Amino acid sequence: MPAKVKENIFSNIIIEMRNDLELDTIIEDYLLGKLNAQEVDALEKLRLNDPAVDHKVVTHKVFLQSMNAYAQQLNLREQLNRIHSEIDVESLSADLKPHSSMIVKMWRSNKSLIAIAASFVLLSLISIYSIQHNSNQKDQLVLLSNQVNKAIKTQNSLIRKLNNTTTTGKPAIQNSFGGTGFAISTNGYILTNLHVVNGADSLYVQNNKGESFKVKSVYSDPQNDIAILKISDQNFINLSSIPYTIKKNASSIGETVYTLGYPKDDAVLGEGYVSSKNGFIGDTTQYQVSIPVNPGNSGGPLLDNNGNLVGIISGKPDQTEGAAFAIKSKYILEAMRAIPQDSLGVKRLSNNKKSLLSGLKRTQQIEKLQDYVFMIKVYN
Amino acid sequence: MNNSLKSSIPTDREVILGILNNSEETLNKLYKAYFAMVLQFILNNNGSEDDAKDVYQEAIIILYNKIKEGNFELSSKLKTYIYSVCRRIWLKKLSSNSKKTGNITDYEDVFAVEEDVEQHEEKDMQFVKMQSALELLGEPCKTIIQDFYIHNLSMQNICEKFGYTNTDNAKTQKYKCLQRLKKIFFQTS
Repeated sequence: MPAKVKENIFSNIIIEMRNDLELDTIIEDYLLGKLNAQEVDALEKLRLNDPAVDHKVVTHKVFLQSMNAYAQQLNLREQLNRIHSEIDVESLSADLKPHSSMIVKMWRSNKSLIAIAASFVLLSLISIYSIQHNSNQKDQLVLLSNQVNKAIKTQNSLIRKLNNTTTTGKPAIQNSFGGTGFAISTNGYILTNLHVVNGADSLYVQNNKGESFKVKSVYSDPQNDIAILKISDQNFINLSSIPYTIKKNASSIGETVYTLGYPKDDAVLGEGYVSSKNGFIGDTTQYQVSIPVNPGNSGGPLLDNNGNLVGIISGKPDQTEGAAFAIKSKYILEAMRAIPQDSLGVKRLSNNKKSLLSGLKRTQQIEKLQDYVFMIKVYN
Repeated sequence: MNNSLKSSIPTDREVILGILNNSEETLNKLYKAYFAMVLQFILNNNGSEDDAKDVYQEAIIILYNKIKEGNFELSSKLKTYIYSVCRRIWLKKLSSNSKKTGNITDYEDVFAVEEDVEQHEEKDMQFVKMQSALELLGEPCKTIIQDFYIHNLSMQNICEKFGYTNTDNAKTQKYKCLQRLKKIFFQTS
């Protein structure tokens, strides 16, 4: 554009109405550096005098910058696309998917799922193994039961071998055994396991005060392993009322129970819960209880929290630690019926309606109970 | 193909100098040097070939702009830089698409490129803004503007191309188009 024409235009703009198109063209040329020094001066004067023109210049500058940046990026992108089109992407990706087989793809995309599945498989394998393991144990138990039946469970009986007899005035005899028994009447009837007293030459019971009394066996029930002894000692003074009662219905699994017995010369409390409704290899006459018992506990009373007689501790499994078997209480009743009712007296266990131990703390219960639990001493 | 790619990997210095000097050949070499690496990464992380192309090109643009701005400090190998940028971009895409993001391999950031990626996103917004403004402008304005400002055609050329009777008509048309474009562009900002 010739300089003279532009001069004319400038004057026209100032004098007449602004010609926006021409002004914009000049501004654009100005920003692109296409104007000569004279024209630049003229426009810069105009900018100083007219804020509207100045605004136009600034706005257009920003726009041109944006457009320039856009053009650059667009150009770059086009360039990159051109380069990209030169690459054989398909064959490259075929190379780069190092394992394009279905299995590997599955593995890659579902790694976590496969891991979870695998751990499930592992878990179930373990549980199957342990189930099998358990059934193996059962087989062993069944095998064991044959032997036990032959041996009449003697290996399980909790008879304590008394090494020395410390009781005064009693003859020291080798081969003596001990067990536990408890009073079923106030006049000296004591119930214990038959296996404790079986084959005995002479029998003594000792109370918690250390007093010994001679007893004789008056009843034995080999089927239920129950024996009833009668104190035949003149020194024996009748006991006061029996504090416990017989529990008539069955105990449920989980019920808290405890026993007092003589695995040593002093009474020992054992506490636990009914762990199974049946005893040794499904013996329905017994409970299994989780009470650690020792030789000498045999014949001990098993009581619940309210002082009801649940059973008689009679043995423990060979393999399992911390478990014991207890003859169910209803067989105590059966045994007691076998004794002439008159001789048991009025204050007998089967007549008790209410337990005196009910609602007491364990320590208080033991306090009352210990007078009725005896150590059985067997000499043969 | 693979071998030829490997043999032509330019040195990092070569790339920087080449880009500063607008060397198309350097850009070509750079692009072909590391595309395979990124393609493998994307393919192994739930992406497609097109995803790889988009991500890689964005990374190259980031690198290119950074070098052009003159503030690129070579604190790691270009290869590492490009890889980190691509992973960052791909992670963002995955999480915005709410695909599973937990199992992207090599999650830890080898290289802090977060800032570069964010800067690029801002720039990209400007780019998209201009792009959409041009789209809104419609034809023939869009092409006239593009021809003049991007392809640097003269008004004479444009006049001939669009069949205007004289350049003044073409200028008037361009002026009208530019006014509208500026209006759209500045309105949306």
